[in-house]
Amino acid sequence: MIKTSGLIFQYDERDLVFNFPDISLGPNENLLILGKSGVGKTTFLHLLAGLLTPLEGKVEIEGISIHSLSNRKMDRFRGQNIGLVFQKNHAIQSLNVFENLKARLFFANKAISNTIISDLLEQLDIIDCRSKKVRELSEGQLQRLGIAMSVIHRPQLILADEPTSSLDDDNCEAVMQLLIDQATANNANLIVITHDGRIQPLFQNSLTL
Amino acid sequence: MNVWSISIRNFRHKPLYTFLSILILSVSIALLLAIQQMEASFKQQLESNLGNIDMVVGAKGSPLQLVLSSVLHIDNPTGNISYKEAQKLSKNPLVKMAVPISYGDNYKGYRIVGTTNNFSILYSATIELGRAVQKPMEVVLGAAVAERFDLHIGDTFLSSHGLAEKNDHDHEEPLTVVGIYKPTHKILDRLIVTDLNTIWDVHHHEAAPHDTHEKEITSLLVTFRSPMGFLTLPRNINSNTTMQAALPKYELERLYQFTGVGVKTVTWIAYIILIISCITIFISLYRMVRDRAFDLALMRTYGANVPQLVKMVAYEGLLIVGIAFIVGILLSQIGLRFIFEMIMDQYKQRVPLLLNYKEIAQTGALALLMVLLAIGLAISPIIKMNISKILSHEK
Repeated sequence: MIKTSGLIFQYDERDLVFNFPDISLGPNENLLILGKSGVGKTTFLHLLAGLLTPLEGKVEIEGISIHSLSNRKMDRFRGQNIGLVFQKNHAIQSLNVFENLKARLFFANKAISNTIISDLLEQLDIIDCRSKKVRELSEGQLQRLGIAMSVIHRPQLILADEPTSSLDDDNCEAVMQLLIDQATANNANLIVITHDGRIQPLFQNSLTL
Repeated sequence: MNVWSISIRNFRHKPLYTFLSILILSVSIALLLAIQQMEASFKQQLESNLGNIDMVVGAKGSPLQLVLSSVLHIDNPTGNISYKEAQKLSKNPLVKMAVPISYGDNYKGYRIVGTTNNFSILYSATIELGRAVQKPMEVVLGAAVAERFDLHIGDTFLSSHGLAEKNDHDHEEPLTVVGIYKPTHKILDRLIVTDLNTIWDVHHHEAAPHDTHEKEITSLLVTFRSPMGFLTLPRNINSNTTMQAALPKYELERLYQFTGVGVKTVTWIAYIILIISCITIFISLYRMVRDRAFDLALMRTYGANVPQLVKMVAYEGLLIVGIAFIVGILLSQIGLRFIFEMIMDQYKQRVPLLLNYKEIAQTGALALLMVLLAIGLAISPIIKMNISKILSHEK
């Protein structure tokens, strides 16, 4: 459950002002946000994740207005309730796949369970990579790890920033399907921002910035 | 999985970087420690060799030479003084104890000192085996001499003329070992102590009889009854007699001033190395923070807070310092042992290897302080980190 109202953002006083449309997602609803580069897609996503503070307006996740939280509480809230998926960099370089998932749970302050991690890796078909370092993974495996990292802690909201732009068509569809499946399995809202038209058919709701 | 275990993974992630940081820091710590310890050891050695000698009286010449020859036994004497005059001086009320010494001979490079039984009091030495010298041609050996030549009570040997080892002129009358001193770690360990008469007998029995020849000694080692002695006696002797008085402590201070320049230079070099190694640590941590900016930003999105990330990087830095410090201590101790081993061979002297905890702690504190500074500077970007900016510029 996520709701925004009247979000306005400005990087610098002299910069242009971004006005974002209000969105509201009920349980299990997903949203695709399309737009060309430069329209503030990533900015919008970072506002939703609490990584940026809006000039005006608010973001409510599960009824909590996240920008009224203190920095520390925001860190914790984000760690526990939000999962982020990125375009390329998905995990900590010095740790292997399994350790990354453990670290993810540790920072989210959640119990570390080896079975839960193994099950998830199995579902995402990267269980064989469990002891591999991040740099030893292929693009497809990396993106699967990115998905694992964004859902292992059972978040309320999954935010994906151009998750498919570096993937080929086969991987693109498989990865998006996995992401949608994981969101559904976790009862989480999924918001994807992209300029990649290939994935539009997978979403009922979409929005163009 | 916790912050510490991630630090350890990071520490092992780039082994070459880590190894180089540890290497350069440990070498600088080792150098600093070794220099400090060596200086302290030599100073302590020299000072303990002074024993209770406040003043040394000998023939006119260089006062430093007099101290070096008669107190540290490493240079040639300035000449001889009259025993009669020396005895007159011994009766001065400011003098607590005056020990005459006379040189002339050596045994395979080790000096034979003709003196009285008071000589050992100067070094608080006790006899471990046997007894003190009672008559001419008897000797008590310093611990190092006995060990070096495997000499025992009752053994005899022939001395050679002069102070340096050479085989051209051996005396014919053998000296008999009657005692061996306990190791003192002072100069006494490498001396052979005998009666004044031994020296006189050996050198004059072929020449004129004793009574017609005025007895001479090399120098007189004096202990004062009160500090007043320092003020009046040396000046008195230097201006009113044909002898000269030298104050060992003062002369040694002068010696330190001469040699101190070298020690200071090396110390400064070590400090500069320490600074350079701290800069290296700073650079490697700073680079690490920058290289891993994305990782660190990711961790923030995982829920990590700033203190956790600061701790993570700081642990990594401290791990490097900790290991470097242990390696540094080991390196300095091994290096010093090696150097002192050589010195023992060359100078026939045992220099005590003293591990000075205060200095180790000081060097450690200094290294830690500088590394903390380096860590602090390196992790400041974490605190100011703009996660959104880093994440939106992923490459």
